[in-house]
Amino acid sequence: MRCQECADKLDRFVDRELTNTEALEVQLHLEGCPDCMEHYEFQEHLKRVVKHSCDCDTAPVAFREKLRQILS
Amino acid sequence: MAEPAAQTAFAEEALTHLDTLYRGALRLTHDPDAAQDLVQEAYLRALRYQHSYQQGTNMKAWLFAIMRNLFWDRFKGARKDDVSLDDVGDFVLYDKLRDEGARPESDVLDKIAASEVVAAVDKLPPLHREVVLLVDVEGFSYKDAAQTLGVPIGTVMSRLHRARQQLQRSLYDYALESGIVRPGGSAQVSQL
Repeated sequence: MRCQECADKLDRFVDRELTNTEALEVQLHLEGCPDCMEHYEFQEHLKRVVKHSCDCDTAPVAFREKLRQILS
Repeated sequence: MAEPAAQTAFAEEALTHLDTLYRGALRLTHDPDAAQDLVQEAYLRALRYQHSYQQGTNMKAWLFAIMRNLFWDRFKGARKDDVSLDDVGDFVLYDKLRDEGARPESDVLDKIAASEVVAAVDKLPPLHREVVLLVDVEGFSYKDAAQTLGVPIGTVMSRLHRARQQLQRSLYDYALESGIVRPGGSAQVSQL
């Protein structure tokens, strides 16, 4: 696999959307290519940072109770 | 109308996804009161149309689809077409940081406050923001995201790619402004 092909598949690799065979091919390339591995780790890290930054908001308790009343 | 016991069970199951819907509504509306209105309306509609929900399918995706459709219909006047994301080219934060000698590149991400990351997500156009919310924040598969948004998987992938590029640009701009990185190639990641 060439670096460009790896880069093209990086989003889907990070999102666990490749087939097992494709994922294995990317994994093998990453293990032999420090540049692509660094790029992958960065993308993975970015995804984690976005998730952790945005998933701390939770519905207020009073709103949850209000909904429960309305829906019951 | 469903039997009371069945309706209660449906409501209870639906409420296990409340945080996901509330987060999504908050990011779409940017306003806690509007988010609560939107979510409440979505739940009422879900209850009304619970017969159309197929047991064993993804209830979270079904509820989110109801909520985001309401958002587009009521909060945005169904004007989806005029919201686009400028092509930011091949800008990649990672490449910029490498060019400027900020290493390791990932350290920069740890120095950016969560509130700035949320602000960068909020700046995305809604059509792109909702893909990031579904895939990156809520962990939807491309298939579930496509179903929720009513678009092909390829559209999910392209919106996600462009959204991530735009996010990286926003975060890079913030990192420069705040001195986390310095332009011109002399930069190490500064120790804030």
